[in-house]
Amino acid sequence: MDKDEVRQRVVKVVCHVLNVDENMVELESHFVFDLGAESTQSVELVAAFEGEFDIEMDDEAALEVQTVGNAVDFIAKYV
Amino acid sequence: MATTETATLQSDSSESAAEVHPLDGVFSPKSVAVIGVTPTPNTVPFDIFQNILTSGYRGTVYPVAPGKRSIGAVRAYRYVIDIDDDVDQAVIVFPANVVDRALEQCGKKGIKSVIVISAGFREVGPKGIKREQRLKDICKEYGIAMIGPNCLGVINTDPAVSLNASFARKMPKVGRIAFLSQSGALCTAVLDFARARGIGFSKFVSFGNKAGVTEIELFDYLHHDDQTDVILLYLEELRNGRGLIEAARRITRGENAKPILAIKSGRTPQGADAAASHTGSLSGEDAICGAVFEEAGVIRVGSMEEMFNAAIMYTYQPMPKGDRIAIVTNAGGPGVMATDAAVRMGLSIPRFDQSTTDILQDSLPDTANLKNPVDVIGDARADRYTAALKAVLDDPNVDQALVILTPQSMTDIDSIARGICQIHEKAGKPIACSFMGATDVHSGVELLQEARIPHYVLPEWACEAMAKVQAVRQWRGQPIEQVQPLPVARDAARAVSAAAEPGYLSEDEALRVMGAYGLPVPRHKLCFTVEEAVEFAGEIGYPVVLRIVSPLIVHKSEVKGVALNLSNAATVRSAYDQMLRHISSVFPDTEIRGVLVRGMIPAGHELIIGAKCDPVFGPTLMFGLGGIYVELFKDVTFALAPIDRATAARMARRVKAYRLLEGMRGGARADIEGIQESLIRVGQHVSDFDRIAELDVNPLIVGPAETGNAVADVRIRLSE
Repeated sequence: MDKDEVRQRVVKVVCHVLNVDENMVELESHFVFDLGAESTQSVELVAAFEGEFDIEMDDEAALEVQTVGNAVDFIAKYV
Repeated sequence: MATTETATLQSDSSESAAEVHPLDGVFSPKSVAVIGVTPTPNTVPFDIFQNILTSGYRGTVYPVAPGKRSIGAVRAYRYVIDIDDDVDQAVIVFPANVVDRALEQCGKKGIKSVIVISAGFREVGPKGIKREQRLKDICKEYGIAMIGPNCLGVINTDPAVSLNASFARKMPKVGRIAFLSQSGALCTAVLDFARARGIGFSKFVSFGNKAGVTEIELFDYLHHDDQTDVILLYLEELRNGRGLIEAARRITRGENAKPILAIKSGRTPQGADAAASHTGSLSGEDAICGAVFEEAGVIRVGSMEEMFNAAIMYTYQPMPKGDRIAIVTNAGGPGVMATDAAVRMGLSIPRFDQSTTDILQDSLPDTANLKNPVDVIGDARADRYTAALKAVLDDPNVDQALVILTPQSMTDIDSIARGICQIHEKAGKPIACSFMGATDVHSGVELLQEARIPHYVLPEWACEAMAKVQAVRQWRGQPIEQVQPLPVARDAARAVSAAAEPGYLSEDEALRVMGAYGLPVPRHKLCFTVEEAVEFAGEIGYPVVLRIVSPLIVHKSEVKGVALNLSNAATVRSAYDQMLRHISSVFPDTEIRGVLVRGMIPAGHELIIGAKCDPVFGPTLMFGLGGIYVELFKDVTFALAPIDRATAARMARRVKAYRLLEGMRGGARADIEGIQESLIRVGQHVSDFDRIAELDVNPLIVGPAETGNAVADVRIRLSE
């Protein structure tokens, strides 16, 4: 899977879990500061990424990921 | 519900002409942005926003909630910089890792007051410390006054503002007590406790990690706050003890004086553990706190109960003109207990005028006790209580009254409470009550509380509260002096310490330093040969003392490094040789710098004057019983140096040994003025030289005025 596809699917998941418009989401967007993720939604995001990409991530490392771009890079290592 | 543009409540159009204080934006913002709000009830971010909305806030509130159109039907903003209007205050509730981003945006938006509620800073270790430093840097760059982080928030009950920017459950009642707390969790408990007792607040501040605004700036604000009569402080960690004390001194006396009651918890004994000197081991932060709080007029209390007991006495009642208390009771036992407590706490129990006794005799049954404490007898109803209370309050020998009630079958509790309330309206003197019990007296207690008559479950607590108000009155009566530097040979002292390495000065050097500062140092000489010692002894006259001088020998007498009462040249020779032989055999590698020879000091009281540059309080002075009893009795007190004469006198009076100095059991009065002079001089020295890690003048031998005092030993340790 190329990185652009990862990015598109990450953005889709983010919009769905955080209930935000796609035009708000950029690679630099911080899940909390820019997109308003609550603490419980961070866990939901990890679970949703795992479901979307059919992967199992290191939870602790995954929760350290703070921006959409970081999430794309992180997931790209698994797919 | 339709989404409104902003949650604009009633806006007060009347601009205050009062002088603007840097913290006005913290307490009286005209608009507040809550940054990081989420739509989930019962979370800190949501509840804070909700509290501001529902507390009747008279300004405008803006929720900043990325990704949300609205919060609670109020239009939300993605970033604070998206708000078109000016914003006075921001409350940041984001998680710790993005607080810096929000704070930086506040700076760019021109917001000068920020409350950071979020935890996860210095309290969590190195990572948090780094985060907190980042916040400090941003505040400095943009000139932001920041409360927190890691705090409950700020409440201002002033009806013109009515701001509850906190996650406390309810807005407290309006009152004239300001409460400052380092602990956020304690705040919610205090609010609940106060509500149950009908106590209101003017300002309520949880200042958390105090990375920006500290208790010192808050003190300054509250000093000038016309809604506040008394300031309560709960403090766990002191970082600038000297600044706190200096601020407290400005507040507790002089123009617009306000009492400060403080709980200081979180003792830190590790500093004392590491200390080598008596001053070091006795002057832990907590020990210094006790004394220097007193020196600044801060009343230190041990519990919330004690704190609020005194606070309501002060704020609800007029200041008494003296310490004389009349007690009116329907129960003998509690009356006696209250009398004991009053006397123990420094109040006095006056005799009544004959005219008062006559009125009491006419109003009370034969079995009543007409003397103070007045016992109106167990079957007393409102008529007896009111007659007795009015009579004692009219007595010129009475400054305040305490009414004690125990609920008996015929006691008309509510009528008695109403009678007291009526007298209170015109009394002009403080009244406190103790309706003992719980259920039966409840309605009467409520009547008293509504009339702002302080009520206490136990009469002893009432006496304690009255005694604390008395302490405030006495403190205000103390003269305010300026420290006047005394003439000293500062350059001579500087020459000694400039040439010295870190560590202990030799005894000879330390005596020279003390002599340069005018302490009563006996004539002495560091001798390098026995002949030199004999010659100097002959010059100053016998008897003399020999003392070994070696950098590694601190406790000289324990290694036979001291020879006392040598009455002629032969004994000096013999002692000199023996001393050197013994020490050379026990410590073969020890450098011996010489033997100090001085005259014998006549016997007297052995006292200690200590000093150190404390990391929290700066130059600090200690005084107390010295010699071998220092650490046994720990009869010492402290003050921040330098000190004036009034402080020196208070220090001397505060130690138990003062009675000895005054001439107990026929003994001669000691040279107390000389002690005070030495205290001032040591205080001046430690203020002049910030390298003084520890200094012990121990013992200072104190005799009667005609013989004076003398420094028998002194140790000075210099830091880097």
